[in-house]
Amino acid sequence: MMSANNVLLASHGTEGAVAAENVALQMCGKGARLHQLIVVPTLWQGMTGDDWLNNGSTRDTFRRYLESEIGREIDEYCQRVSDEAEQNEIEYSRVIIVGEPEACLLEVSQNDDFDLVIMGSPRPRGKKGLRSRMPTEPLARSLRIPLLIVPYPDE
Amino acid sequence: MVYTKKGPALFIIGVIMLAIWYLADSGMLAGYIEHLAAGKKYKYSHELTTIPLYFGIVALVIGAWQWFGTHREGHWDYYSSTIAGGMFILLIAMLVRWFIAPEIAVISMSMGKVGDTGKYIHKLLGLNYVVLGIVTGIIIVNVFKVPEWAQNGVRLSRLGLKTGVILLGTLYSAAELTNLGGLSIIMIGFFVLGSVGMTLWLGSRMKVPNSMGGVLSAGMGVCGVSATVAAAPVVQAKSVEIAYTIGTILIWGVGCMFIFPIIGNLFGMSYVQFGAWAGTGILNSAQVAGAALAYQPDGIETLKVAEIFNITRVLVLPIIVLWLAVWYVKREESVTESVNVGQVIFAKFPVFVLGFILMFALSTTGIFAPAQHYKGKYFDNTNVPASKMLTDEEVSILRANAGKVQRADRKAALERLLEGRKIASREDDATLRGLINAKVMGKESGKILKKAHKAVRHTAKKIKAFRQWITWLFAFGLVGLGMQITVSSMKQAGGQPAIIGGIVGLTKAVLSLIVVIMLVSETV
Repeated sequence: MMSANNVLLASHGTEGAVAAENVALQMCGKGARLHQLIVVPTLWQGMTGDDWLNNGSTRDTFRRYLESEIGREIDEYCQRVSDEAEQNEIEYSRVIIVGEPEACLLEVSQNDDFDLVIMGSPRPRGKKGLRSRMPTEPLARSLRIPLLIVPYPDE
Repeated sequence: MVYTKKGPALFIIGVIMLAIWYLADSGMLAGYIEHLAAGKKYKYSHELTTIPLYFGIVALVIGAWQWFGTHREGHWDYYSSTIAGGMFILLIAMLVRWFIAPEIAVISMSMGKVGDTGKYIHKLLGLNYVVLGIVTGIIIVNVFKVPEWAQNGVRLSRLGLKTGVILLGTLYSAAELTNLGGLSIIMIGFFVLGSVGMTLWLGSRMKVPNSMGGVLSAGMGVCGVSATVAAAPVVQAKSVEIAYTIGTILIWGVGCMFIFPIIGNLFGMSYVQFGAWAGTGILNSAQVAGAALAYQPDGIETLKVAEIFNITRVLVLPIIVLWLAVWYVKREESVTESVNVGQVIFAKFPVFVLGFILMFALSTTGIFAPAQHYKGKYFDNTNVPASKMLTDEEVSILRANAGKVQRADRKAALERLLEGRKIASREDDATLRGLINAKVMGKESGKILKKAHKAVRHTAKKIKAFRQWITWLFAFGLVGLGMQITVSSMKQAGGQPAIIGGIVGLTKAVLSLIVVIMLVSETV
């Protein structure tokens, strides 16, 4: 298998992303660096929709709950990758950004001297998860470093 | 953090509003208004020469201060930051109500009536200023994005709707509120409990997690997104479950807002029947108001019925949240916390309903208008000015066509009108209105009868003002809420929640339609 020293891993806990995490961990040798990017899609900002009947405190409770729930899920994903990285003596770091996945990935990829970007393939129809697809083709054209898209586990 | 955005946006909005006022007031828009009126009297002439002037001046002055002034952190800064967004919504509501909706009506009428429905396509689809306002809001947020300077103000739309409901309290008579309240408690009680129970049952059959079933049942059963927001933390819903539920409800709600008025028109439902059906069958509370105003854009009888149902639903919400909390704690062994009944009821209680009750109570004291004015119309034939009495010419036109009237009660009422030259009693007024609607005497006679009707039936000034404010508050609120419906959140609909939601939503809509048509009378 190919190896890389400074990998940017775009993942957010779906089955496809877990497959990408596993490949990234395998490709990073001892002492390599693995930087995990987690994007919280902006669609969450519209998740109170057109609610108008609730009072402010109910909406605040909902927002706090949703934030803590998303935070808890992200902590779980990161902990899993972090534990694996530690076992394999890989230097691990992470960044969490609220925004559009494609734009965030492009921005973060330019911030460091990464060798490779790894991400999972788009989730097949019918699989559980958020509908927040990242258009891979324009992304591949815009990136200045190699991009590895790991196939979805079932495919 | 300073929230007020330093920029020309609000100032420009003020200039546009003042330009609208000037063009209308100076008569420069006369030709276009004549085109929009399509041979009738343009309904919004008075609004067009007053509202943009007042709000334009406010926007211009505050806009200049926001653009050139200095801003510091604090409460005033936060409140000031909402003005631009509020004026932005108002400007869109103005443009849609005065120009876009009438233009669509003109285009629709030029296309002729649809098949044998006897209705133009815009009437059939309910394409009026309310629906078009919501659609414009949805287009703005999804295609252009809400500008940053307007984002704080867009949230004011909720305040607009709540204030509209509070003011609506002034328009109910005690008898109306008793009858509508009783009907809504029975309908909402049956359909809310039924759809919550059905969702939970389907959820357990399809083996969805308890948290998913709990949050979906609140959304499908009570009041859509509002109930989802209230129930999600209580049943510890996962983020993806919340997204699925809200996506499903938003798609259903927006779809129902368009489909319900079409079905209502096809069935020829009365305002009371449609209000009761929309209030029960539409999942999402915002779209209940939207559909009610779509069905009757130039009156608020349907809205009055639908909002009583909305209020009943929101009053049921704390009870349903409590039920789901207890249900969830019993089913999930990992949850050890007990449910604090008082805290749930207190936190979820809709305070604005108290405002509605207060306004209703005040109106019953006669503070706004005498008792007979509460329905918005009252009958008075004691002071009919001579100018409003029938002229000799009008009497002779009516006499010439009187032979076409067959029914004895209508003949007698018409004869009394011709003798007295004004309508003498409520009963005669009701009978002659039936004669107008029957259109048996021809167009000219119809116009004369309408004149006679208007001479004795009035709307009290204060009630008229309340109606005007309510209409604008709802239009403002619904345009703003449209700006909060994102396609990305609707796209989350899917999986088992969409299937369960589809089954429950359709069952509720169809059953409530049958119940309303069979059991709800045409008037209150």
